[in-house]
Amino acid sequence: MTAVLAPRTGTAPGAPGPAERRRRRPGLARRRRALLWFLLLAGPNVALLLVFVYRPLLESFYLSTMQWNLGSPVARFVGLGNYVEWFTSPATAQVLTTTAVFTVATVGGALVLGLGLALLLDRRLPGRGLARTVAFAPYVLSGYAVGILWLFIFDPRYGLMSAVLGWFGASSPQWYTAEPWPLVMIIVVYLWKNLGYVALIYLAGLQSIPQDLRDAAALDGASPARTLRSIVLPLLTPTTFFLTVTMLLASLQSFDIIRSMTSGGPLGSTTTLMYQIYQEGFVNGRAGYASAGATVLFLVLLVVTALQLRYVEKKVHYA
Amino acid sequence: MSIPSVPTRRTRRPSTLVLGALTAAGALTLTACAGPTVASGDAPAEAREATAIDWSQVEPASEITWWSNHPGGSQPVEKELVERFEAEYPDIKVNLVTAGASYDEIAQRFQAASQTDQLPDLVISSDVWWFRYHLNDQIMPLDDVFEHLEVDVDDFVPAFRSDYEYEGQHWAAPYARSTPLFYYNKDMWAAAGLPDRGPETWAELGQWQEALAEQVPADSAPLGLSVGPSWSAWWFKNILWGHGGRYSDEWDTTLDTPEALEAGEFLRGMFHETGLATVSEDATVDFASGVVAATIGSTGSLKGILDAASFEVGTAYLPDGPAGGGTPTGGTGLAIPSSRTPEQQLAAAIFLKFLTDTEQTAFFSQGTGYMPVRTSAIESDEMKAVYAEAPQFRTAVDQLNDRARSQDWIRVFVPGADQLLSEGIEQIVLRGTDPADAFGSVAPRIETAYRENVEPYL
Repeated sequence: MTAVLAPRTGTAPGAPGPAERRRRRPGLARRRRALLWFLLLAGPNVALLLVFVYRPLLESFYLSTMQWNLGSPVARFVGLGNYVEWFTSPATAQVLTTTAVFTVATVGGALVLGLGLALLLDRRLPGRGLARTVAFAPYVLSGYAVGILWLFIFDPRYGLMSAVLGWFGASSPQWYTAEPWPLVMIIVVYLWKNLGYVALIYLAGLQSIPQDLRDAAALDGASPARTLRSIVLPLLTPTTFFLTVTMLLASLQSFDIIRSMTSGGPLGSTTTLMYQIYQEGFVNGRAGYASAGATVLFLVLLVVTALQLRYVEKKVHYA
Repeated sequence: MSIPSVPTRRTRRPSTLVLGALTAAGALTLTACAGPTVASGDAPAEAREATAIDWSQVEPASEITWWSNHPGGSQPVEKELVERFEAEYPDIKVNLVTAGASYDEIAQRFQAASQTDQLPDLVISSDVWWFRYHLNDQIMPLDDVFEHLEVDVDDFVPAFRSDYEYEGQHWAAPYARSTPLFYYNKDMWAAAGLPDRGPETWAELGQWQEALAEQVPADSAPLGLSVGPSWSAWWFKNILWGHGGRYSDEWDTTLDTPEALEAGEFLRGMFHETGLATVSEDATVDFASGVVAATIGSTGSLKGILDAASFEVGTAYLPDGPAGGGTPTGGTGLAIPSSRTPEQQLAAAIFLKFLTDTEQTAFFSQGTGYMPVRTSAIESDEMKAVYAEAPQFRTAVDQLNDRARSQDWIRVFVPGADQLLSEGIEQIVLRGTDPADAFGSVAPRIETAYRENVEPYL
């Protein structure tokens, strides 16, 4: 193909003619200038990412091949030993199950309840602005403080929850000690804290749906439920997709509420993968083993995100 | 965190990918710290070097840093101690730094900083952490520098001093030390027609159970006990020792002995058969509010319990078992990092000598409820004033003299062992698991932790 085209310009293939060179020069200079600007503007950020994200990332991979007591000046190379131990440990199945239950419950629950809340807040009701603020407020609170606060509420003997259940003649579950209640407790608190954020994003999504579509549906006699199913939900899919990705990543990495409420207990029933990494690394001092767990979490996050982008996104409708 | 906008089609893919990669990377950065050197073979301990310092040739540094979590809410007391020291030693300035809210937080920060020069000159070293610092070569033995400073080490309470001893050297000095104590509600005791004293044995408490059960709410029990890391494996020692068992014989785990299993069975019976005990989320709160008639709490909680309770509080020794008993000691000491200059180490040692002298340990005890760490302080005027104000404190001090025993090695020396032992105890208490199964599930993990994280470093 090149051989056929080349003689037309009378120059060697790949070598631009004088007119083309003249045309390209300013383009080339512009591109160089653009590259320079790019390096100038993005360079500091890229450098920070390299130093504070990707360097520790690689170091963590490296440490996962070591048996190293955190703080010790020396470590011992163990190859894949930490991974073998992690995958064969009896604790792993429980940690993965807890992580899965926590993640599915918090992400699923936040999306369903968040959408419901957004639909409510989208209606023209008196005090709507205040209600929106109140709904969003927990999101900006410190997770650790929220955990401490809810510990008081859940206290089976003295807590508010116990009193409320008492009004209905029910007795409080042993939230702190009897499985599965500790896990239920942290899921409830996580949902409470993050619901406002999900609702706010959904609210933005709802308000971007053109009113004429709804009006047209109403004219055609569609019921509110039908409008929700056939118009609102499909047009909210970009928002749902975005929230699923971000909430999943946040949920898999949640730490503060677990740390303040249960410290992963009792009997490891609230130990998620993220919490196990902390526990092994900083409490038990097994930095190599914790790094292996961190690598597993990294791969889980990567695979989950990739799967979402590959498959789930196909179901997203863009207006 | 700023609120992200809903992405448009054009920018969607890169931003989500970058977000995913960044957050995933964030998970890994948690464990990435400055790296160690890699040792060949199985003997990282070879890297350790011991060089003797001639302390008489060293001039103390003019400024030192002390990392503390202010145990027992002691920040004002510690500030006062620093002021007293600076008044007596005007050439040495002490920077008191709040380096964490608990022993564990201090330890995590200290270990994370170990490869840097951002270290203190004096650091809180709790009973379950100091040995790890020693294994990691992070702290220095105090014997030589104390000898140079003529510290009266024989005056330290023997059980406290020996807690920091390994192979003939002492790696920390006792500072904020405590023991568990038996607390009882005198009003309920009187209403139940019981003598005004704690039970001498667990069997005696069992005999009193019926009378005490009438004094507490129907869904409660006479004795409330909390579980959890750093706690249950501590008080359970009394029951274990009382049945002739131990967690370990030096490094050998002994959780499968008939004595240990008998102690486990006794524990299971207390919660699941006789109804003597109930699980409390916070036993001191349940005790102070009259939900339970008795509890085991730290001596460090004495002041708080006395303030919170509306009834007269009695204190007693921990009950004995069929094979005797004893009380473990707990709390924290202070250690000097090995990587500081001799000048800084000497200044820190001078400050440490001051902090633990008779007058200051009594002052600290008075302000916090922790035990005085010197025998000469126990009968000092300052402590006599404390006993006059709260006679219950006398029980704690007497129990320390009469019953204190040093801890079994694995709980305090093997990283993570306390957590694992607590897990075994929780299985028995919360699920009613057979002790053989409960201990059997944690013992191999403790042995692995020893083999991997202690043995190669010894």
